Amino acid sequence: MSMESIWQAALAEIKTWARANSPWAVHFNSGSCNGCDIEILATLTPRYDLERFGIKMQGSPRHADILICTGPVTRQARERLRRIYEQMPAPKYVIAVGSCAISGGAFYDCYNVEGGIDRVIPVDVYVPGCPPRPEAIIDGMVKLLQQIQEGKRAEGDVSPQLQEAQTP
Amino acid sequence: MSTESALQTATQLTAAWAKATTTPEANRVDISVAPSDLHSAVAALHGAHWGYLAAITGLDSPTTNEIELLYHFCQDAAVFTLRVSVPRDDAAVPTICDVMPSASLFEREVMEMFGAKIIGTPDTARLVLPDDWEEGVYPLRKDFVPTPDAQATKV
Amino acid sequence: MHTHAEVEKFVVPIGPQHPALKEPGHFEFTVDGEMVTHASVRLGYVHRGIEKATEQRTWVQDLYLLERICGICSHTHATAFVLGVEKLAGIPAPPRAQAIRVLVAEMERIHSHLLWLGVAAHEAGFDTLFMYTWRDRETIMDLLEGLTGNRVNYSANVLGGVKFDVDAEQADSIRRGLDFLQERTEHYLEVIRRDEMFLRRTRGIGVMTQAEADEFGVVGPTARASGVARDIRIQAPYAAYDAYPVNLVVEHAGDLEARFIVRVRELLESYRLIRAILDALPEGELSKKLPRRIKSGETISRVEAPRGELFYFIQSGGGDKPTRVKVRTPTLCNLASVLTLVIGHQLADVPMILVGVDPCFSCNDRAVVLKSERDEKVWAWEQLRQYGIDFYRKGKA
Repeated sequence: MSMESIWQAALAEIKTWARANSPWAVHFNSGSCNGCDIEILATLTPRYDLERFGIKMQGSPRHADILICTGPVTRQARERLRRIYEQMPAPKYVIAVGSCAISGGAFYDCYNVEGGIDRVIPVDVYVPGCPPRPEAIIDGMVKLLQQIQEGKRAEGDVSPQLQEAQTP
Repeated sequence: MSTESALQTATQLTAAWAKATTTPEANRVDISVAPSDLHSAVAALHGAHWGYLAAITGLDSPTTNEIELLYHFCQDAAVFTLRVSVPRDDAAVPTICDVMPSASLFEREVMEMFGAKIIGTPDTARLVLPDDWEEGVYPLRKDFVPTPDAQATKV
Repeated sequence: MHTHAEVEKFVVPIGPQHPALKEPGHFEFTVDGEMVTHASVRLGYVHRGIEKATEQRTWVQDLYLLERICGICSHTHATAFVLGVEKLAGIPAPPRAQAIRVLVAEMERIHSHLLWLGVAAHEAGFDTLFMYTWRDRETIMDLLEGLTGNRVNYSANVLGGVKFDVDAEQADSIRRGLDFLQERTEHYLEVIRRDEMFLRRTRGIGVMTQAEADEFGVVGPTARASGVARDIRIQAPYAAYDAYPVNLVVEHAGDLEARFIVRVRELLESYRLIRAILDALPEGELSKKLPRRIKSGETISRVEAPRGELFYFIQSGGGDKPTRVKVRTPTLCNLASVLTLVIGHQLADVPMILVGVDPCFSCNDRAVVLKSERDEKVWAWEQLRQYGIDFYRKGKA
């Protein structure tokens, strides 16, 4: 093994450790009823305290590793969602929180509703529920972090729904 | 003032323009007015400080080919509704925003959902439909049939 | 001093926001230096086409749909709907069910007001208060979960009654939870009345006179903070509110401080009301069966959501699906007032004035945009909020 590849391997390990241990997250609501959003917000409060996992919620996608997204994606929100995703630097991960974010939920057949976040951007973790409890949301995040740590997260995995949606 | 007497007062205030009067529920009186009399009826209620404008409901009636707009005024438990019917292809009513500026958001909603034309309303921008929604498509009309992704373009 | 040519507008797009500001939406503010001179609103980011969807679903399915208009006032929406349908069908729910409906409604009001208090504190940069209120709010969330099975979207209502009962043990845990919350709430009342930093951002700011509140058609605590005695629970009692009357909570200053005080005092009133219900729950069944097809007719159902009057117009053609369900949420009424209120205020006060009406965006939709004539300056809501906090910290007020 050459010096360079050892050095690269070490660097990769450090990067993985850093990403998994202090990810910065950004939250976006693509048209949800707020039920999921208030439970996400609750994870920041003393009883659940998401920050003890090293996850920091902040406001800008340009500094974010993880996008936590709720809502069934209304037509008006769709472009914003895509823009936010594009503004995030690689590697980036997406957590879809709530039934609406997974499939459109109760609004699956409504006009103006795209019907699930993975129709617009790739999703890494789905947290089902209407809304999911804060513990479930944390569980989803921790699972993602574990997978990042174990190097199981290949970036840019495109879900079948998104592939289908992207085919002209 | 009891609900009954409140409703009586409202009925009297607008008697000049009431084409028909009904009592759909114990605490409600509905009167039908012509579009040209809507403004006067609203001004009469507003001038006497009768209640507040709680909502404007739109109804689509394909069988009679009409759009009906309901202006709901509430005073305590009493609900007094002015009903205006207009033809679907020319659903024009005058604005009431000069009398009640707070009606603007309600008028905007009914314009984009039913295709009502509210003449003289100060703000005609869309309220809830997306910017790229097709012109001339009114979702709450009965002939609009939503299908999943009906109006959503592919990624 | 700014000349005419220097009028600037700032662009604040919808976009990533701090989770505390739950939803995206679209306001447009024209600013002349520090002063707001014009405001308008463009909604649409949460528009899901629900009213249309109700026409394609049965009465029962619609109950589950309408509950999800808003996660914060879900029970209020469901209650307005079932009360209307029961009126159309001519089959009122039994007294015990109505009492339980009111019980859950008041518990929802508590969670909503505590949630709002935390969010409002966060807007002012008072994050400690945000953490405390949300920690205390977990008490009511636990009680709601113990009673209904879910923390959010309780689904307590069925057409004709409620799904579950309250037993003596649950009643006791509710009472104990309320005792704790009462103590905490009295402390919060002191904080908002005494804390200097807070008062600088709320006292005398965003004043709406009684006449203006009447004119703008505002509802709920926003109206009551300006002396307008508007509370559907009192003016047009529904469900069991005639059996358990509510004491009106009203303030007269009409400023942001009054809006805070009204909601905190309403919390205390809700605690009293819940105790009154638990002490005198009527016996009887929990629900009556409603037919699949509901008689033809039109009905109007008005209930007092935490944010104000929720207005439902329901029309049945005699079938198993409604022909029209119109939902007018309280925030739509109160938004118009915000647009007028902010004029003449500083940009730094905008976040607080907006949060003062307790806007529920999924009930409505919202965003903030400030446009620049000379150039496009892009601000996130987070920046606007931080701007307000820094403005007051540096003593520029």
